[in-house]
Amino acid sequence: MAALQSELVMSRGWLTAEQYALIYGLARVTPGTNLLAFSAASGWVLLRWVGALASVLAVTVPPAMIVVLLTGGYEAWNSNRLAMAAIGGTLAAATGMMATSAWQLLAPQLKTGRWLRAAVIFLAALAASLRFGVSPIAILGLSALAGLFWWAPVDL
Amino acid sequence: MNLLLLYLLLLKATVTSFSGLTSLPVIRHDLVETRHVLTDRQLNAAVVAGRTAPGANGLYIVSVGYFIGGVPGAAVGALAVMTPAFLIIPLLRYLGARAERPEVKSAIQCVMVAAAGLVISSTVPLARDALNGPISIAIAIGSFFFLVITRKDTVWVVLGSALIGLAAGR
Repeated sequence: MAALQSELVMSRGWLTAEQYALIYGLARVTPGTNLLAFSAASGWVLLRWVGALASVLAVTVPPAMIVVLLTGGYEAWNSNRLAMAAIGGTLAAATGMMATSAWQLLAPQLKTGRWLRAAVIFLAALAASLRFGVSPIAILGLSALAGLFWWAPVDL
Repeated sequence: MNLLLLYLLLLKATVTSFSGLTSLPVIRHDLVETRHVLTDRQLNAAVVAGRTAPGANGLYIVSVGYFIGGVPGAAVGALAVMTPAFLIIPLLRYLGARAERPEVKSAIQCVMVAAAGLVISSTVPLARDALNGPISIAIAIGSFFFLVITRKDTVWVVLGSALIGLAAGR
């Protein structure tokens, strides 16, 4: 999204800085993938529904085709010993990537004034899922509810 | 599996997430644990494919769709990733001024933290499948610290871990 700011706001002047800021903020609170929401809104501001559709297709279809090719490669090489050794290495790395993803979600919330709420909700979600098998949807819903009533001091 | 049902299950996961891999717990719960149409190993491979390709991290769902339903499944996965993006348009039209309200920001912050817990919870069974020796454990720990400290693109982790896996497997 930062790269698109340079292209859409600075180079081409298609969006004002205020429009970019509003779209950026809303993309972060829209369910799903932030980049796709950002693209939909930018396209909508420029060309309404046609622009939104074209933008979302443009940022989804080419990489999705690459994902399919990579997945097809995984299936095709499934019986090759050397390929599976290499894939085994990448699957191990995937667990590290997932832990990184969790850390990137958690780290911004560990600021002064927010760390206690973050720690309580993180541990509660982990325990509810791992220990008690509560469904992810229920955990996310309860967390949103907690956030409505438990404001960290820096939010006030 | 019926493609409409697959779309609805993947859509449920994308609509209830707010970025990248936060849809992973819902996907795993529905497709691995409840319906048994996907294995932990395939889900792990889907994450690798999604993170290796350029574009948004959430595109691993395309790979999930491909594992379950081939190319039509991948198309359904792409559709499920794209659909929630259009929710921003009514938000842009009617709720723009309210996005900065503290209670909305606070609720989203709490959802992100809970999602972090859920991602860790989903990683545990995937790790049981993928981490089967000291080398794979070292790759996982090394990948985590490499990405957190250097913030380099994940493609370097994928390439490096593949080379290490290849060298160890010879």
